[in-house]
Amino acid sequence: MKLSFSPEDEQFRVEVAQWLQQNLTGEFEKLKFRGGPGDEHMFPHERQRWEQKLAEGGWTCIGWPQECGGRGCSIEQQVIFNEEYARAGAPGRAGHIGEGLAGPTIIAFGSDAQKQKYLPGIVAGTELWCQGYSEPGAGSDLANVKTRARFDEAKGKWLINGQKVWTSLAHESDYCFVIARTDPDSVAHKGLGFFLVKMAQPGVEVRGIQQITGTSEFNEVFFDNAECDAEDIVGEPGDGWKVAMGLLGFERGVSTLGQQMQFQNELNAVIREARANGADHNPVIRQRIARAHAELKIMRYNSMRMLSGQGGSDGSLQKEALIYKLFWATWHRSLGELAMDVLGPDSQILEDGPYQLTRLQSMYLFVRSDTIYGGTNEIQRNIIAERGLGMPKEPKVAVQ
Amino acid sequence: MDFTFTEDQLLFCDSVKNFLQAEITPESLRASWDTDTGRSDELWQTIVELGLTAMLVPEAQGGLGMNELDFILLAQECGRVALAEALVETALVATPLLSALVDKDPRCASLLEKIASGEIRVAVGHPANELVSDAHVADWLLLPSGDQIHLLARDQVKLVTQHSVDPSRRLFTVEWKATDETCLAGGPEGVQLLAASLNRGALGCAAQLVGLAEAMVSLTVDYTADRHQFGKAIGTNQALKHHMANCAVKSEFAKAPLYRAAYTLSKAPQNADFAVSHAKVAAGEAALLAAKNAIQSFGAMGYTWECDLHIFMKRAWALDKFWGHTGFHKNRLHQWLMNPNAKIGADKTFGIQG
Ligand SMILES: Cc1cc2nc3c(=O)[nH]c(=O)nc-3n(C[C@H](O)[C@H](O)[C@H](O)COP(=O)(O)OP(=O)(O)OC[C@H]3O[C@@H](n4cnc5c(N)ncnc54)[C@H](O)[C@@H]3O)c2cc1C
Repeated sequence: MKLSFSPEDEQFRVEVAQWLQQNLTGEFEKLKFRGGPGDEHMFPHERQRWEQKLAEGGWTCIGWPQECGGRGCSIEQQVIFNEEYARAGAPGRAGHIGEGLAGPTIIAFGSDAQKQKYLPGIVAGTELWCQGYSEPGAGSDLANVKTRARFDEAKGKWLINGQKVWTSLAHESDYCFVIARTDPDSVAHKGLGFFLVKMAQPGVEVRGIQQITGTSEFNEVFFDNAECDAEDIVGEPGDGWKVAMGLLGFERGVSTLGQQMQFQNELNAVIREARANGADHNPVIRQRIARAHAELKIMRYNSMRMLSGQGGSDGSLQKEALIYKLFWATWHRSLGELAMDVLGPDSQILEDGPYQLTRLQSMYLFVRSDTIYGGTNEIQRNIIAERGLGMPKEPKVAVQ
Repeated sequence: MDFTFTEDQLLFCDSVKNFLQAEITPESLRASWDTDTGRSDELWQTIVELGLTAMLVPEAQGGLGMNELDFILLAQECGRVALAEALVETALVATPLLSALVDKDPRCASLLEKIASGEIRVAVGHPANELVSDAHVADWLLLPSGDQIHLLARDQVKLVTQHSVDPSRRLFTVEWKATDETCLAGGPEGVQLLAASLNRGALGCAAQLVGLAEAMVSLTVDYTADRHQFGKAIGTNQALKHHMANCAVKSEFAKAPLYRAAYTLSKAPQNADFAVSHAKVAAGEAALLAAKNAIQSFGAMGYTWECDLHIFMKRAWALDKFWGHTGFHKNRLHQWLMNPNAKIGADKTFGIQG
């Protein structure tokens, strides 16, 4: 065990901090502390330009291997980068689905041709991705996807038909990774494929869904003979489930480090409010703030512990990682409640009409979804109990 | 000892419940969000015709001379449908405040008569709330200034709209000037009336919160029976059953302190602080838990504007912080409990509090 950073790492910290200080200025100044949880819909274009600025400095995809266009940074350096990124108030990353999910999946499971075709756009911050997993009938039961992919011999392409739902940022994205059924007679997790689909084509239609925040960050995506090149299936037809699950491993891996630093910024904002309105004199609020801080540190130390020496490039994490989503989502939801209790009666007043929420209100509403997306709390508990602890599985209902 | 409501109280509640459930629907609420006032004069007149605004108006002023206990079940029903009209505040706060001053100021008697007949509406400000709800549709406003209570016509005040997280609510900052003419009461009497108003406002909130909690549970029970995942209704999962069972326990148990608070307010209002705070805390916790577990059980669907759940969640979040938030009421509870003369003990179950 060694709980400190090396002199080289500290040098790296200085380099990151200086670059951010010099570049998070001018047109990017207004992006400071924006685009985080509940604020993703803000400044999409400016944030994409910022993504490209980061790329110029070599600060996108820093954990990826160098041969894939990354910087090959160690876990320590990724920790440091995220700390400094958050300290500088740099904005929520517009490219996080590409950098954190699509890219690592392509690196782990994709062909050389796919790596050449897709990784550079992610590294450069020019191409954004979205995640096409959920469907009206496939939420927690993800394996129940009905969207189909049929190979059209004449066209030499896959044709995709069906509907995805809750697809975050589909309206801003260039590509979507789609799980679809390649074997029409298959059920559950067999017979699925993992496709890389271009959004700008006649067969793809995106319709926004309004959220309880009044804004619209997620969408319905309809595929009507949407085309996907023969070489744009990751793995073989039938491998879709394996690839999709590998990706979920990334969702719970290093990409969490940046998220925790955003949480720290939010907690700081709550503490600032409490100081400003006197709620910090209330012993109950003080205790809840202390608890929030302690739990955030637990999260941070634990994710470093989980990542230490084991975050393989295939994204595989140890059993301990199973607990992570449940813990952070529940923590974040409580932070929202704390924020509203700190604000007291003011918490119900909007920034402006017709429905312009304050930052903390957006956060409060948004965190209601943290315990739902990416596997609900209930599903996480099932996974912890069944896979982590080996408790008896629930009997399966025969699928029609 | 008898903790039940009378046959009459229950029958009347049933008929009001039927009326509210027919008239106040998620569709009608949504439609109201896009209108100028967000309120319907027609609906208010129907409420008046049912005698609801007259219930707590003294008989001498043409009312029914009823009390808090007669109204509490109705307030719960107003919460259940997320009624936006300020009926609960009119009946439970404005009316008793004016009634307390009938003998002192002739204006009060006339206002009470007109509340009962539906000719006017009265909004109430209070130091516990920075904002006044439904001031825009009120003809008269009762406003606090220090230990004084003032009566102003709407054209004597300036209203500044404040938007609420609950799109049904209409909240205002009121700018106005206190004069001798506008003053209805002050000094110790004013202090006492303001304290009573706080308790009545909090009681009304608590009742609505219990109704909201039950409404959210009921929506969720229906949804989890319809929605299928893994080849079965999601409601078959114990995780969700337990979520709803926990909510049911909270809201059912919040009813006892709620009814007890209504009783105390009607019998010994000067001693009702403890009972009211207890009710507000219990009801707030029930409603917030119902909101949390309901959206969780709905999954992503509950996070959409289109799904009716948020109508109820947002009202619950708003009312939990109105007429004293939970922290405020818990403080009152512990201040009372820590008092060395606090009357707690074997023979004090229903004993005078405070
Ligand atoms: C803000 C937001 C963004 C999202 N972004 C994306 C995206 O970009 N791409 C994408 O593909 N999806 C996305 N999703 C969808 C998300 O992954 C699903 O919402 C999630 O998987 C849950 O599915 P569901 O909403 O259909 O809920 P359901 O599966 O219908 O679940 C409803 C309730 O039933 C419970 N339940 C279901 N099965 C069980 C069981 N076996 N045991 C116990 N409880 C059970 C759940 O825990 C939940 O409480 C997003 C969702 C949200 C809210």
